Amino acid sequence: MKATINWLADPAISFTLIILVFFLVFPITDRLEKISKRLKIDLLWTNTGGLIALGVLVLFFVWGLTDENFRLIVTKPDNVPIVGLIFLVGFFTWLSMKQARENDNRMGQGGQPLEASDKSKVLVWPDLIYIEFICLILATVLLFAWSIFVKAPLEEPANPTLSPNPSKAPWYFLGLQEMLVYYDPWLAGIVLPTLIMVGLVAIPYMDTGDRGTGFYSYSGRKRAISTFMFGFLVLWTFLIIVGTFLRGPNWNFFGPFEVWDANKRVVLNNVNLSEYVYVFLLETGLPRGWLIREIWGILLVVGYFAVLPGLLAKTVFRNLYERWGTVRYSTFIVLLLMGMALPIKMYMRWLFNLKYIVSIPEFFLNI
Amino acid sequence: MSDDTQPTPISRRGFINWLTAAWVAFIAIVAGLLTGTVRFLFPNVLFEPPQSFRAGPPEDYTVGEVSTRFKNEFGVWIVRSTTEIYVLSTVCTHLGCTPNWLGGEQKFKCPCHGSGFRISGVNFEGPAPRPLERFKVTLADDGQLLIDKTKKFQFEKGEWSNPESFLAV
Amino acid sequence: MADTETTTGTPADGGNGAGNGKKATRERTPFAESAFWRSIFRSGVPRTRAARMMGVLNSVFLHLHPVRLPKHAVKVKYTWCMGGLSFFLFLVLTITGILLMFYYRPTVEAAYGDIIDLGSQVPLGIMREIHRWGAHLMVITVWLHMFRVFMTGSYKPPREFNWMIGVILLVLTMFLSFSGYLLPWDQLAIWAVTVGANMARAAPLLGHEGPGAALLSIGDVNFIHAGADAKFALLGGRFLGGATLLRFYVLHCIGVPFIVMIFMIVHFWRIRKDGGISGPT
Repeated sequence: MKATINWLADPAISFTLIILVFFLVFPITDRLEKISKRLKIDLLWTNTGGLIALGVLVLFFVWGLTDENFRLIVTKPDNVPIVGLIFLVGFFTWLSMKQARENDNRMGQGGQPLEASDKSKVLVWPDLIYIEFICLILATVLLFAWSIFVKAPLEEPANPTLSPNPSKAPWYFLGLQEMLVYYDPWLAGIVLPTLIMVGLVAIPYMDTGDRGTGFYSYSGRKRAISTFMFGFLVLWTFLIIVGTFLRGPNWNFFGPFEVWDANKRVVLNNVNLSEYVYVFLLETGLPRGWLIREIWGILLVVGYFAVLPGLLAKTVFRNLYERWGTVRYSTFIVLLLMGMALPIKMYMRWLFNLKYIVSIPEFFLNI
Repeated sequence: MSDDTQPTPISRRGFINWLTAAWVAFIAIVAGLLTGTVRFLFPNVLFEPPQSFRAGPPEDYTVGEVSTRFKNEFGVWIVRSTTEIYVLSTVCTHLGCTPNWLGGEQKFKCPCHGSGFRISGVNFEGPAPRPLERFKVTLADDGQLLIDKTKKFQFEKGEWSNPESFLAV
Repeated sequence: MADTETTTGTPADGGNGAGNGKKATRERTPFAESAFWRSIFRSGVPRTRAARMMGVLNSVFLHLHPVRLPKHAVKVKYTWCMGGLSFFLFLVLTITGILLMFYYRPTVEAAYGDIIDLGSQVPLGIMREIHRWGAHLMVITVWLHMFRVFMTGSYKPPREFNWMIGVILLVLTMFLSFSGYLLPWDQLAIWAVTVGANMARAAPLLGHEGPGAALLSIGDVNFIHAGADAKFALLGGRFLGGATLLRFYVLHCIGVPFIVMIFMIVHFWRIRKDGGISGPT
């Protein structure tokens, strides 16, 4: 059982599984939504479904805590917030989806969303103030209890010549650190985070119109919600969990029940695209000039960002392109392609051991 | 419109010229202030450890071994091969962690993201994009190695053939 | 105080204070009706609907809120209370942070020892814990707040700009937390910041090992080099050291909170101006 879970947790496998499950749970198209309905995945968004999911998660943690390796990594003081995060994100995803499905059903029967059913107003004093007051007290109690029971971590004094193994960023940046496995620092550390920010800012300018404002709903906004959830749950939260719980010494992968063995040998002989082309395919050896050496990778990257958007505009996204016009569509597609570049590179690494598509260390430019 | 008894009213073109000049001056001054403010963050004098030091005579180092003598103090490994002595930086080219020399496997292994480097400093595994850097090494008057960390040599730029990047022995 | 006796509008108490007139008058006047009270709160005890509305309007703190709200908007089920909690945690962190500053010296020699002393030599030795876990909690509440706003479609017109401010606040929150990470000056701290600073080194154009940095040069003179690039600006030197600690300390305690407060003011103001909390039309 533990061996199976360790095997399943390997990023290549767990990531694939999560993507497959994700699009059934948060269907992005009408057809997927029908399949999802037929599989009765909707039942997850009921009280019973939620309780069962919570029970399974709690049981997993309780059972996992009997294992020494699992306990070591989960109860590490700086990892406690992530355990909290798993439960909180799970709960609030459920809470929002439950209300969304209820509203979808109401609207499907020609009704109004629950939020619109009672148009009466209440006074801020006392109705809202009391709720806020109680929230503050609960938060304070939680914070004090947490502070009393878990000491803030303090490691050895700083020693610039001795890197701890593994060295991890604060947990909220571990998604980014996980990207560093696949992309160079200038992309994973600078360009991608900047684009995440730009992408978030751009959301209201892409998803315009005030349809679906002010109440939970899924059916009417499934493309927007599914895309956002993919970014938030899969590319951000899931990668944080991988980076926190599953990355051990030398940033090697370790299953949740595996011993963190600093001497674990993992072959990391990754190969650049140029080497695939010239050494394995053409068998000529690498050319001297960087332009000729990297031309295939450069063509691939240029094609991905310059040609693919046009092709997509004529095929998959034809409606969208006609509706949105060139500027809005281009912004959207570039952000989308950048976002998809991460999983694409991950799979290229897992399947072909590909290191860089373009590798020009002369200019510190590696993609 | 013109009235000779009144002070000459400013012409339309003259007004626009003045306005342009005023705005250009304004923007120039604001840009200058901003540049100054940014420049403020880069001090003229740095209180950092000295960047060059003497590391004993070449005979202190055995052939084929990696010396970690100056790793803690100055962040360098001194390696002696059969023909030369070279000085490697202990800063991983990936994200600046400090790799460890694993004598058994004959490689430098970085604990942060698993980059591996051969004894020559050339990267061969993990995410490091390029080899470790080498520092300038010469023989001082007193027969000791003189290592200057301000001058570095990068393999991918073909600088390791520079005579200052190694000491022939 | 002299006004006490002339206060009007208090319910007459009959003659139970006979014989000790001055004391009797005092007992007859509820404190919340006294001139002293009125001088502070402007409106009386909010017993009536009108008084409650005036109470919100007349308080500098409460008037962040409107006077009345649609019923769905006060439900925790709808709001999750996450925005409010984020603000509350910001206040908690400000207060605990100020207290911690009394004992902490941002120097390479003193920092680590001061952190140890904070846990053992100071009464209520959990101040640092409250600060640290509160910071983690704030990152989570800010994320969840954004999540809620997305799920209710509350970023849509006319609230696009406020969503943008929110994204900036999200980034600033994480940077605040990150800059505080260095201050204990332990192994966890310096290596997390080393990794972060080396990402800045690789920034396109602005980092000396980033792509395109060589383009910013005239002839042989590079404008971007180890002594002048994004990493240097962050670290205050070419290496992580005392200058870095001081720089992060100032950013963490004054610089970023100041910027955060400005953006928070805009954020709260725009909530009201954009029509208050979102709701179905």
